[in-house]
Amino acid sequence: MSENNKSEKAVKKENNKKYWQFFWRSWTIQASWNYERQMNLGFLYGISPTLNRIYKDPKDIDKKKSAYKRHLAFYNCTPQTSSFVLGLSASMEEQLSQNPDDFDPESISAVKSSLMGPLSGIEDSFFQGTVKVLAFGLGINFAQKGNILGPILALLICLVPAWLVTWYGAKWGYTAGNQFLTKLNSEGAMDRVMFIAGVVGLMVIGSMVASMISLTTPLHMGTTFKLQSTLNTIMPKLIPISLTMFMYWLIQKKVNTGWILTVCIIGGILASVLGILKA
Amino acid sequence: MLYKAIILGIIGIIVVWDSRLFGRLNVEQPLIASTLVGIALGDVTKGLMVGATLELISLGLVNVGAAAPPDMALGSIIAAAFAILSGASAQTALTIAIPIAVLGQLLAIVLRMAMSSFNVMANRYIDEGKFKSATNLHIIWGSALYAISYFVPIFISIYFGTGLVKQIVSVIPKWLTSGLTVASAVLPAYGFALLLSTMLSKKMAPYFFIGFLITAYANISVTGIALFAILIAILLDQIIYKDKSSSSSGGDGDSLDSL
Repeated sequence: MSENNKSEKAVKKENNKKYWQFFWRSWTIQASWNYERQMNLGFLYGISPTLNRIYKDPKDIDKKKSAYKRHLAFYNCTPQTSSFVLGLSASMEEQLSQNPDDFDPESISAVKSSLMGPLSGIEDSFFQGTVKVLAFGLGINFAQKGNILGPILALLICLVPAWLVTWYGAKWGYTAGNQFLTKLNSEGAMDRVMFIAGVVGLMVIGSMVASMISLTTPLHMGTTFKLQSTLNTIMPKLIPISLTMFMYWLIQKKVNTGWILTVCIIGGILASVLGILKA
Repeated sequence: MLYKAIILGIIGIIVVWDSRLFGRLNVEQPLIASTLVGIALGDVTKGLMVGATLELISLGLVNVGAAAPPDMALGSIIAAAFAILSGASAQTALTIAIPIAVLGQLLAIVLRMAMSSFNVMANRYIDEGKFKSATNLHIIWGSALYAISYFVPIFISIYFGTGLVKQIVSVIPKWLTSGLTVASAVLPAYGFALLLSTMLSKKMAPYFFIGFLITAYANISVTGIALFAILIAILLDQIIYKDKSSSSSGGDGDSLDSL
């Protein structure tokens, strides 16, 4: 009995360490934000301790490599809520390593993608909207009277909810994820979850293509014919989707990444100089 | 002046790291940045006043998606420093700070583009089994480059004065600035395509296009789409998996067949 208690304590301690890892690494998730895949390297950094722990054995190095590469994919989500995604993905990676045969690794990517959208919505409306305006509205009032409490209060009001959301996000993501996945696996319902995550993930990515690539064409003839207005009557956002599908085609053709990046940058500058594209 | 330029540059690093390393706790907001500048230059009250004015200007600017924001964080450090050092009003100081914010924004675009090459490097490191090097790209090199992107423009404009920065900005041709902006908008398309290449199959492709079309035509936000998607997925799940379970459990399937 006492031994049982001890191991329970040890598990709790170990889990707490994991939550802190998700917490801090979720706050640092934007340290290498890049245009191409945005916070992907930050996510990889966040989940790397988990992967290192799972694939400790040198003979698992190939599995470790493919796991690392899996998390190099595009990722963009608020730092405060990313801890939830990190926790959940970590528990999915653990499940995968325990049942490599009946766990589809792609479901991890699908779950990540399906969570990005709704969780980022929290950033825009809650943290960048409500909390920030409240905190700084109050802060300005104090500061205008020359009171140093202004900025201090503003920072505290921002810190508390951010701290709570990140901490409980990490905890719930990992524990709930673990319980949920174990239950699903025993019921043989993983297929269904993967299907749902796939549908949500793909629809979210589709929506992101339409809302996050802000390219239009300034081409026109005289003042009467504007190509973009004509395109808009056929299909708005035709340029973002065509560009994405073109890139997708290049990837299917196994064109080298370095080449594609060069084409993106040089092509973008050329298209802007020639007046074909406008951001 | 060297000492002041370095201290203000360090404040710049703290401010840029706020959203890079501390989950955006809003240290980057003009009120906080300006107060820090006030403390560093020994005039806290003026820092608070300028900060309050700049904050009022900045509130309402919400930074969404991949577009480069008007760099208010960098601008407000410079503006606060000039307001305190020269006694100018906050608004005048902000006008002086605009060319520096422009330079900073350009640097930010180039930097975020250059960091796309980290993905190629990380991939290679992973292939070679250098896992630590792959994650160091993020936490060490990423943080360092972002720090430099704030330190340099602040240092130059405090140490050499805004005249030099204005000259630098006027030398940069317009076509390059707008060209880089277009290129930075093209790069996410590649990121999305990469993500799709791991998830898209013939069977699943319609869902991607449904999500795209709804937002394209009806302008519904990503969060909205996600909520619709969850409901659609649950409905489809009921239809698809109900069929399967009823046909495998025999009795039910027969009774339906006879109907």
